Amino acid sequence: MLDRLIGMIEKHAGSMAEELKEKLLSDPTTSSYRSLDERALYDNIFEVYSCLGHWLLRDPEKGEVRSHYSKMGAQRFEQGFPIHQVIQALVSTKRHIWDTVLDKGIMTTAKELNSVVDFITYLNRFFDMAIYYTTLGYCERLTVKIRS
Amino acid sequence: MLTRKIVDLVEGNALRLSLEIQQRLIIHPSTVSYRNIDDKVLHNWIYDVCSRFSFWLSEDKEKGEVRQHYRNLGKERFKQNFALPEVISALYLTKRRLWEFIAASRKVDSTLNLNQIVEASFLLVRFFDHAVMHVTEGYEEMLKHTHDYEAPLSDPQQLAEAIAAKQKRGKLIYEEPKLPNLCFTKGMIRLG
Repeated sequence: MLDRLIGMIEKHAGSMAEELKEKLLSDPTTSSYRSLDERALYDNIFEVYSCLGHWLLRDPEKGEVRSHYSKMGAQRFEQGFPIHQVIQALVSTKRHIWDTVLDKGIMTTAKELNSVVDFITYLNRFFDMAIYYTTLGYCERLTVKIRS
Repeated sequence: MLTRKIVDLVEGNALRLSLEIQQRLIIHPSTVSYRNIDDKVLHNWIYDVCSRFSFWLSEDKEKGEVRQHYRNLGKERFKQNFALPEVISALYLTKRRLWEFIAASRKVDSTLNLNQIVEASFLLVRFFDHAVMHVTEGYEEMLKHTHDYEAPLSDPQQLAEAIAAKQKRGKLIYEEPKLPNLCFTKGMIRLG
């Protein structure tokens, strides 16, 4: 069941990435994203949605999450993004997955609902780590900048 | 509205849960600065979240109290020399324990409706998403106040310039290729 939910997101990765890209570009709380190349922004989102199973289940120590997101945090600092907007974008990425699961998942039986509870656990664990390491990478650069 | 049964479960176990969360914050490597906070102060902060669970999670608290409370917390932690990732990690460790407790309750109490647990998770996650956002905003405000640092793209003028630069780059990439001065067309030489 958990695989079915993950597969559903991966299957719709292209359209979901397009929807979220438009949302980030139009939302005033993520206005800094308008300065990014649209293709690169789409690719960043698509990378999460199309390999969701990998991020959620096949990186148990979250080592890849650590290196990928701390690099991204450092990059966003260099690009001049405020950190709260970067966090907001990651929260929106998570919510879009959540909304899709609740909207298209059609969960009625106890077994299906139990799998949603497990899915929520994995999803939150991943995004908590992603936000934590993004902030860590960002703040490391920020500290250097302030000290200099 | 969040199911009363789940609220009662969390609030009824507030003391035990807050002690467990406090222990996690003290021993976890991502929240080392929390070892420097007075035990009672730290406990009271966590206990406040657990014992007034319905208050914090209710929708009308989204814009007002949660915003002000967590902005102030971000400013306070900045003054206490906490790193922002530590403050965020503390909030996530708190959320994780509360979620573990709620998710586990489905196995202990068979009368709990799974839909209610899913709904509770949504409210819990939404609350902590807002808390993290507002803590970060409060922290950024202190950065500006203390170190005169503000992210460049927070400034509308700089953002407009960055967008214009991006559009210029895009135009260069998609510009129609110019015909060379000398080209071959159907075997003929055309001089440009």
